Amino acid sequence: MNIFFLLITILFSGALLTFLVNKVAPKISGIVTFATIALVSFLFFTQVNIGDTFQFTLGEIPMQFGITPYTFIFAIIVLGLGTLASLYSIGYMKDQERLGYFYSNFLLSVTGMIGIVFSQDFITFFIFWEIMTWSSYLIVIYNGYNSRKIGMKYMIFSAIGAYAMLTAIVSIKANYGTFNIAEAIQNGAFNFSENIYIPVLLLVGFAVKAALMPLHVWAPNAYSKSPMSFTSIFSGAMSKMGILGIGLVLASAYSYTNHDNANYVTALRYALGWLGGITAVMATIYALIQTHAKKLLAYSSVAQLGYIIVGLSTGTELGVMAALFLAVVHGIFKGALFMVVGAVERQVGTTDMTKISGLIRKMPFTFFVALVSIIALAGVPPLGGFVGKWMLYEALITESNNYFLVIVIFFSSTAAFLYSYRFLFGLFLGQEEKETEHVKEAPITMVIPMMILAILLIVTGAFPGVLFEPIAHGMHYLGFSDVNWSMSVLVNIWGEESNMTYINLSIGVVFVVVFAFLTIKGYKGTKNVGTKDISTSGEIPTENENLTFQLDFFKPFERAAAPLYKRSMDKIWNDLGNAFEALTDFTRKIYTGNGQTYAVYVVIFLVILLLMKDTLFAN
Amino acid sequence: MEDLGLKIFGAILTTIMAFAVGMLYGGIVRKLTARVQNRYGPPVHQNFLDLLKLQSKKTNIAHGFMGHMAPVWIIIAAVTVLMFIPILNGNLWFPNLSFHGDLIFLLYMMVFGSLGMALGAGQTGNPNSAIGVTRGLSQMVGYEIPFVLALVALMIQYKTTSVQDLTQIQHETGVWMAFSNPFSFLAALLASLGMFRYSPFDIVGAPAELASGPISEFGGKYLGTMMSGGAIFAFIKLTLYVHLFLGGAGNPDDSGILATLAGIGILLVKTFLLYMIPVFYGWINPRYRTEQAIRYFWGWPTALGIIGVLLAVFIN
Repeated sequence: MNIFFLLITILFSGALLTFLVNKVAPKISGIVTFATIALVSFLFFTQVNIGDTFQFTLGEIPMQFGITPYTFIFAIIVLGLGTLASLYSIGYMKDQERLGYFYSNFLLSVTGMIGIVFSQDFITFFIFWEIMTWSSYLIVIYNGYNSRKIGMKYMIFSAIGAYAMLTAIVSIKANYGTFNIAEAIQNGAFNFSENIYIPVLLLVGFAVKAALMPLHVWAPNAYSKSPMSFTSIFSGAMSKMGILGIGLVLASAYSYTNHDNANYVTALRYALGWLGGITAVMATIYALIQTHAKKLLAYSSVAQLGYIIVGLSTGTELGVMAALFLAVVHGIFKGALFMVVGAVERQVGTTDMTKISGLIRKMPFTFFVALVSIIALAGVPPLGGFVGKWMLYEALITESNNYFLVIVIFFSSTAAFLYSYRFLFGLFLGQEEKETEHVKEAPITMVIPMMILAILLIVTGAFPGVLFEPIAHGMHYLGFSDVNWSMSVLVNIWGEESNMTYINLSIGVVFVVVFAFLTIKGYKGTKNVGTKDISTSGEIPTENENLTFQLDFFKPFERAAAPLYKRSMDKIWNDLGNAFEALTDFTRKIYTGNGQTYAVYVVIFLVILLLMKDTLFAN
Repeated sequence: MEDLGLKIFGAILTTIMAFAVGMLYGGIVRKLTARVQNRYGPPVHQNFLDLLKLQSKKTNIAHGFMGHMAPVWIIIAAVTVLMFIPILNGNLWFPNLSFHGDLIFLLYMMVFGSLGMALGAGQTGNPNSAIGVTRGLSQMVGYEIPFVLALVALMIQYKTTSVQDLTQIQHETGVWMAFSNPFSFLAALLASLGMFRYSPFDIVGAPAELASGPISEFGGKYLGTMMSGGAIFAFIKLTLYVHLFLGGAGNPDDSGILATLAGIGILLVKTFLLYMIPVFYGWINPRYRTEQAIRYFWGWPTALGIIGVLLAVFIN
């Protein structure tokens, strides 16, 4: 049996198996899920070589599977994060209801993503795309009736995307005579010569999943309402499927376009870049006024995807590399952060930051993961996030003419410090309250996957080359002729560099020296005190004094940026929805459903016909 | 091996110099401010005495792990940035890594300390600290915009992102960037008012309002270490501005002792004069509210920055 067929079969039968196992022993359905994904990952990374292909016919339709250097990058994200998230799920979903429903859909969505990564033709791609969408929709509504509205929004936008994509796929077949992705690219489906609408429609389809403005409004709610163990792959991996598609279309557009059509490509690039930039800014400023940690991270995901799209839109070597690097790193740190929130939710019962504070001493490992991930998210050296941000800025400054987009992006990532701090402070720092005294560290099955992700972030910061290698191969496949990379030195086209070795060395040496100095010096005289033992203008606060600062956290910033908060895409879509509803209400006035009304219409029509018979039937 | 030893020695010497200059400048400002306010004021070496006192405290209060780490983050950021900026242009006595990290890296590394400090302040549980931090971060979003606009203008005008190269260009052409792109210089200068946090932008510490804000729960060795980090940081910011806009200091062709001393002298004069701008501005201004401070930076400084970028594009 072919390895691709085997992997897909294992995943499908795993989904069925977890559902059945749940009827007998609910406890092991999580373990079955983990075992399935772990087995698939193991087989994939040991047995599959880049370039392998496989084809079989299902009914009349040939389904082509294979793995290209480009899709391999995304296979790493899906399988790596999928394995860890399913391990995490075992602890997180313990004592929950309807585990069979959850786990089989979990596996189905991983199947969908893997299928997308493997697919070599558009039909297979679309089938798996729909499997992914539907299974994730079913998980979004897992949490009950209130979630259905949110699920509906997600479904509507996904449907818009799917129809756009389907139209494009059919047009490709009609105009270029093939469903095969590589052939379609070769035949010039994306070269903007005659059928500009094809790449644009495909981009709409992908942009929905990548949560690009104005198609992002489903994301914040859908991300925050799903169970967190799923959100970590929902935001970490599934959104990257959109990036996969956008990258494919854009990169092919750059590589296969002749100079006559360059203007279209440039216009599209600018449009996408600015959409990405505005997405990043708006999502960031909405993230920093959230009081629920889940919602904050959901908005932050949208913002981070904006950066990735900006990177892709540059179309230069460094920019695309930055985007793909950020895609992988975003998968790691956002996966980890959603796991952190899930751990807090499970141990405390809520993620409302106005109700929780000061968990650092109770959940030290979770805090460590949160800290590392937030440092990566904020793009502060020396972690992986910085590497991606550095390349993105350098690409925008040195290789594109889009200088003001740099400022937009920079504004967004500086404002990201605000919500990063909000997140860490809201959950882990600040006053330690009595309500959270009973809280303990999350179970080990949840801590281990989080820790692995945190370590990966440190590694990608010190040796970004481990990711550059597959990315460089992928970019070569996309048509970038000669991709430069080295293990831990970042270079832009003007020759300036950031050497991660020296940076890490400097940080490491100073850290050791100062930390040792501070710890050893006056060790005996150093007294560790609690959060109530502070001075408030010289007074010592009493035991029950409320000193928690969590409400209206960034009120001054909100006041300063008030004009930005007036615009909301959500409102525009809602207005559109209401207008549509009003329109259907109006048609209801005509189609009343009353037989007598219809009889009157018939009579009126006949009267008009009779009156105008001379003019109408003159000849 | 001998080379490496010399480099480490040079790095330590650079750090000590930056620390001493920063502390001294702080002391001079205290003295000058006192004279302006018709007080006698402390001696110029008062900051050193304060540091000595803080470091020799027998008991210290630690507020958990992040609190313990806060001064460490600050020193890490300060020393690392110091290693990656040129102190004197091309001088062999100051071994640095300025070819191994460029402006974008420096921008990010410079916020590293503030963020670490913010986390430490957060763990103390003092609401004043957290309020101070939120103000500081908000203000940062304000002044980073004109600052980055200015830097982007320089980078695209001269097609380099390295501080060393920008200094070298000014040395070769003899024209300071402050004159070749005056709008960017003004934008950066106005941004520096927020960076140095003197009035009217002293909203983070905000004496008599937030009880000194983020640092309110730190004392003894922690406060002392933070103070040293802050002194190094003041020197870094000034040196960076001098190298970016005011022609830098030092002669890359001559690393003799006399030339080096002359270079240091020029650097000190330039940095001191630059330092006086936010200080002077502070003497005559009351404190802004946070949103006013942010709005200030998003107003004229940003407009100047945009003009600067357009100018740079036009020149190319």
